[in-house]
Amino acid sequence: MLSVNNLVTSYGLIKALKGVSLEAKKGAVTCILGPNGAGKTTLMFTLAGILAPDTGTVSLLDQNLTGLGAPKILRKGLALVPENRLVFPDLSVYENLLAGAFTQSRAMAAQVSDDIDKMYDRFPILKARHDQPAGNLSGGEQQMLALARALMSRPSILLMDEPSVGLSPLIVDEIFAIIKQLNEDGMSILLVEQNATKALQVADYFYLLDQGKVTFSGTPDQLKDDDIIKRAYLGGG
Amino acid sequence: MDMLQTSIDGLMIGSTYALLGLSFALVFGIMRRINLAFGACLLFGASLAIYLEPILGWGAWGLFFVTIVGVALASAYVERLCFAPHSKRHGAVTAMIASFAVWMQLDEISSQLLPQRTHAFQGIEVPNLWWGEVFVRGDQLLHFVIALVSILVLYLLLYKTRLGLLIRATADSPETAHLLGARVPWLGFIIFLLAGILGGLAAFMILSADGYVTPLFGLWSTFKGLIAMIIGGVGSLTGAVIGGLILGLVETHAGAVLGAEFRDMVTFGLVFLVLIIRPGGLMGVKIYRTDSLAQERV
Repeated sequence: MLSVNNLVTSYGLIKALKGVSLEAKKGAVTCILGPNGAGKTTLMFTLAGILAPDTGTVSLLDQNLTGLGAPKILRKGLALVPENRLVFPDLSVYENLLAGAFTQSRAMAAQVSDDIDKMYDRFPILKARHDQPAGNLSGGEQQMLALARALMSRPSILLMDEPSVGLSPLIVDEIFAIIKQLNEDGMSILLVEQNATKALQVADYFYLLDQGKVTFSGTPDQLKDDDIIKRAYLGGG
Repeated sequence: MDMLQTSIDGLMIGSTYALLGLSFALVFGIMRRINLAFGACLLFGASLAIYLEPILGWGAWGLFFVTIVGVALASAYVERLCFAPHSKRHGAVTAMIASFAVWMQLDEISSQLLPQRTHAFQGIEVPNLWWGEVFVRGDQLLHFVIALVSILVLYLLLYKTRLGLLIRATADSPETAHLLGARVPWLGFIIFLLAGILGGLAAFMILSADGYVTPLFGLWSTFKGLIAMIIGGVGSLTGAVIGGLILGLVETHAGAVLGAEFRDMVTFGLVFLVLIIRPGGLMGVKIYRTDSLAQERV
């Protein structure tokens, strides 16, 4: 569904991605693991069109996304939930959701308000807080809002950059339950995580990114059998 | 009775200050920029209106119309020349200094248009009102209503329309807005145009109430706008309106109680106090605290 081929992205002279290739299948949760500085966020930003790649291609459902800007990529069906949420702090929860639907045309107003109702059903806490400024929400609630806002654009694949970062274990459980639920409802998800134990509960396929390269790829069982990964990411031997 | 009369006068004048403050708050609150050429834009619009008056012969309504269009055009010109090229985060100081240069330029153009020191500025004729003992100037009442209506229209535009949501989202977090495909390409231009229209309205009201314009009007209105914004809350639109009304009330009461020569002294004393006690202004404290970007950008 989403296929990334030999992607190279650099900041000036420093290559952050040195030829990354991967594939996210339809209806699956694909997870990218990797230490700090591995290039995970760079990869997400390149896929979402915030950074432009030097070489390589990105395609989604046979549409070429390479080098398009963020708004166009969003319109083609790829939505990113950025790390650290990045909600609009002064806008209300409701307005944040509306902002997520900016790519929808004006004629879709009825559909947009329908979608907002669906988000309120999925995330009851957002309904309870619909008129509060998003900056007043807790970290977990902001993560849910960022997720709901990304869904407002009706994406065919959802990219999530470290949804568990900075959240308490209970909230992390909740977020992962939501990810699982979304996937069961048919959403394809590409997930970046450092929390491998959590990721194992939801992901169907894994890639390990290290220093800008994919150093491992495999199913959850293969991941659990890999000694190095076991030691580095799952704790113990 | 005198207190009531003075308060009504204060509110009438304050409503025009509110518009000046709103123009500043619009630019600062959304763009995080200070436009030093703001007063010069107002002076330019007024000078153009007086210059064209004998040619057009439309009387007070002509002055009204040309002033607003002139200020809006000058404001858009300042944006294109000084602010659009420096829209990145570190461009704040460069843009402000560039606007200082354009201030001089616009002042010079205005004095070429109006070579004499003082020019008469005609107002719209409206009969005055007496409510019992209280006297209300007709034109000032009209101005008060126009100010209220334009504040209401601005509110509806920003809070009830799609464009308004785009503007506020971009102001809140430009990066996120870009990510969501919600960035307004001509945001700066639209904001400066809006600020120009509000400023033009305020300029017409103040000048027609005074009955004349001098070259000092530009600097004077920059001061009043900045003060209204600082008292009300840096970058807060509601704050700017409240700040303008407070400024009007304080000025008229100080003038009535202590005498006209103490008016500006009391005003500046108030600004001094606000800056010491609540540096973010009456409404702006919260915004200033939560918006680390504001401090980074300014």
